[in-house]
Amino acid sequence: MSAPRRVSLMITCLGDLFFPEVGMSMVRLLRRLGVAVECPSGQTCCGMPLFNSGYHREAAAVAARTLDLFRDAEHVIVPSGSCAYMVKHEYPGLLAATPAARRAAESLAARTWELSQFLVRVLGVRELTSAVKGRVTYHDSCHLLRGLGESEAPRTLLQALPGVELVELPGADECCGFGGSFAVRLPEVSAGILDRKLANVEATGAGCVVACDAGCLMQLGGGLRRRGSRVRPLHLAELLGGDGT
Amino acid sequence: MSEGELATPFRERAGRAMRDTFLQEALGIATTKFIGLRREAFADFPEGDALRDRARAIKEAMLQRLDEHLERLAASVERLGGRVHYATTPEEARAIVLDIARRAGARTAVKSKSMASEEILLNEALEAAGVTPVETDLGEYIIQLAHERPSHIIAPAIHKTKGQVAELFARELKRRVAADPEALTQVARAELREKFLKADLGITGANFAVAETGTVVLVTNEGNGRMVTSLPRVHVAIMGVEKVVPSMTDLMIFLAILARSATGQKLSVYTTLVQGPRRAGELEGPDEFHLVLLDNGRIGELAGPLREALYCLRCGACLNVCPVYRQIGGHAYGHTYPGPIGILLTAMLSGPAAVRDLAHASSLCGACVDACPVRIDIPRMLLGLRRELDERRLAPWGERIAFGLLARLLARPRLYRLAARVGRLLQRPFARDGAVRGLPLALGNWTQRRDLPVIAPRTFQERWAALRREDRR
Amino acid sequence: MTTQADFLARIRTEMRKTRGLFAAATAPRPAAPRAEAEAIRRELAPRWPETLERFRREFERVGGVFHRVAALGDVPHLVAGLAREREARRVVAWHAAALGADLAAALTARGLDVLAMPAGELGDEAERRALRARIAEAELGLTGVDLAVAETGTLVVRSGAGRPRSTSLLPSYHVAVFDRSVLVESLRQVGVLLEAWHAPDAPPAGAVTSFITGPSRTADIELTLTRGVHGPKEVHAVFVNADIRG
Repeated sequence: MSAPRRVSLMITCLGDLFFPEVGMSMVRLLRRLGVAVECPSGQTCCGMPLFNSGYHREAAAVAARTLDLFRDAEHVIVPSGSCAYMVKHEYPGLLAATPAARRAAESLAARTWELSQFLVRVLGVRELTSAVKGRVTYHDSCHLLRGLGESEAPRTLLQALPGVELVELPGADECCGFGGSFAVRLPEVSAGILDRKLANVEATGAGCVVACDAGCLMQLGGGLRRRGSRVRPLHLAELLGGDGT
Repeated sequence: MSEGELATPFRERAGRAMRDTFLQEALGIATTKFIGLRREAFADFPEGDALRDRARAIKEAMLQRLDEHLERLAASVERLGGRVHYATTPEEARAIVLDIARRAGARTAVKSKSMASEEILLNEALEAAGVTPVETDLGEYIIQLAHERPSHIIAPAIHKTKGQVAELFARELKRRVAADPEALTQVARAELREKFLKADLGITGANFAVAETGTVVLVTNEGNGRMVTSLPRVHVAIMGVEKVVPSMTDLMIFLAILARSATGQKLSVYTTLVQGPRRAGELEGPDEFHLVLLDNGRIGELAGPLREALYCLRCGACLNVCPVYRQIGGHAYGHTYPGPIGILLTAMLSGPAAVRDLAHASSLCGACVDACPVRIDIPRMLLGLRRELDERRLAPWGERIAFGLLARLLARPRLYRLAARVGRLLQRPFARDGAVRGLPLALGNWTQRRDLPVIAPRTFQERWAALRREDRR
Repeated sequence: MTTQADFLARIRTEMRKTRGLFAAATAPRPAAPRAEAEAIRRELAPRWPETLERFRREFERVGGVFHRVAALGDVPHLVAGLAREREARRVVAWHAAALGADLAAALTARGLDVLAMPAGELGDEAERRALRARIAEAELGLTGVDLAVAETGTLVVRSGAGRPRSTSLLPSYHVAVFDRSVLVESLRQVGVLLEAWHAPDAPPAGAVTSFITGPSRTADIELTLTRGVHGPKEVHAVFVNADIRG
């Protein structure tokens, strides 16, 4: 496959509001790789929070907007496994009201990529540099791992980074307890799940925990900060496309 | 679980479980151990994945011709001299068993572990009718003595310490025993041996029933399933209709994956194939064999959204891997069947309104689908239940308003941008060094134990717009 | 009361409402199970030593004790030794016809108290209870084996005339005697044999087939593995080199 020269960024609600640096890192990274980046304006959210709570009609309206925004995009790159999963696996069913809408949703699904998958499986990138050095560990986000079946791409990238030592996180495949509205519906349970995860993270001795999902990072980061941990939560993009600060 | 306990909101029941330090430790050890055992069992079993696919296909094929398979099962059982009974409701199932007990003049009934009998609350009914039910699976025996309910499908008493069991035996059996699993087990063996030898009625569930041969299949590690089906004069097996499998060939496929999923064993110690009552020439075995086929909400789901939950083998693998179950254990769910599959089965048995809270007791992480021997897509059905709760307006009004607002905001970018600006203003009193703490109302549920990142001074889309302006210059 | 007709009618009504089901089939069954069972036995015959070795490994993994003797005549000596070490004296054994030989005299000669099973069924419930009480008093149970499954280390034992269910269940020590003719490799092969045992022209047998994979066990108290909760706490598999039935 010839390397795509133009991609559209789906920034996601959490990425837009809480983690703009993740998006900026992606832009820097992709540009460094010779890829032109677009970012259609008027983006809000993929609709997953509505969908997962049972509000499917409302989620469909949001999904239809997303479909319009990215109708002409060659490749849509998403910095979150869960949002990519939503677009790739839920949109076609959600937008099945008319055959045309379904076809459009299927087309978008086929053009949408989670960042690490895009880098490894489409661009074939193997050699990058990291803004962070030392020991890092990786948390598999549930939707990227089990939803999109991807555990290798992020590890491939992390292992190839000079100056970075990737240590496996015990129970890396276990949920961090975020789960969208789950985190506020059952906060005690969500925080209990997080405690187990963070104990594992700290046991690795890594200086930062990397994930490919803004939801997980919000949860991991919120917990790490509250317990005054020195471990930094970082999105993969921040390692790969960080400006060195 | 009593009505009174169910009146406590789920979140509180869960919170209580999380403050129970022993339970927390026991759950952590048990689920971690089961996860490891299952993983190892499938690691040296390369054909496992293909067998799981076949098992799933067999379950589906069986449901597509459920009527024929049940008809054949009934004919086979009757040909062997057994009797088949049909129970639409739990009341009916209880009445059938009580009638059999009365005709047999039974005073004591020994039971091997049966979730179906738990589901129809059989023990209470037997007691009320003057028949003493004795649970004979060690874990079930312990919780019966303690007047509790199982907290795990295959390890019902994992929430109890050996010290608690020793105290329980001292109080209930008047036997002073060291708090040592070996010694406690020997006491239970002796107590239960007596019961086995004198019981008139044996009650079991069925892990499977083979239509072609009329065989009820029981899987146990202790041997109580064999006792219950060999020693009493009358044997009653109670099974959900979905447990039927067409042939012995199909059965072997399920056996190859069931124990591996449940306990990591290649096979459980005892797999007992019982084909009707005692045969000519046999020295022992029951005179009478009864099979009770139970509906209790199952048939209504044949064409319903929970159909796939009818594939369930009750192995418990989804409980062990579920991050929520691992935090709260089985009792907090409040119904017969705990864990992620339990939410679906509860909805099947009692209707979606019964799982108004439980439908959200999942982070949708999908670990259950991976662990399930027949790959039941539990998260998909939970999403369906949540949708049904929304559409039937069973969700709390506060939640519906909140999500209504969110929907509007996400469908209108201008409103979304405005909300970001308003949010930035509102977060000020709570924000320090880029993190938010101590938020009020529902958002406080987040900040109670975790910091929240601040809404960035400039969102990505604002920074992107600026970047594009620079690019153009 | 729900009748069979009502019950099945409701199922059919619901089944008619299903839509969009995926095509699924049950497992293909052997067309001529008895012939296939014979074919499996023939195919396995030359490689029985490997099958036995795998059986031994798996059987020991599940906590069984494996023994090997030259001929059936060596079994009484072995059983007597096991009994002595365990301070046991009472042995209940399958009927000679079911076991393949009459070992009662040889066991008695070694100081054991032997209860051999009658060949046929007993008159009434009282007689059955009396027999069962005596079986329950025995410390050792001596049985044959219908299949020894290498993949899982499982002994398959069928009930029937002269071979009561509780012989391998109530005594604390179960001793099972077998030869190469009952060895199979896999659960898949067991499936074929089960089909053959249930074929319309198959010889009659008892109502229960028991798969026994090691000693009775539980982990219900703090997940601590404990043996002998209801069934035997030890299972001994005795492989006899010479064919038991000559």
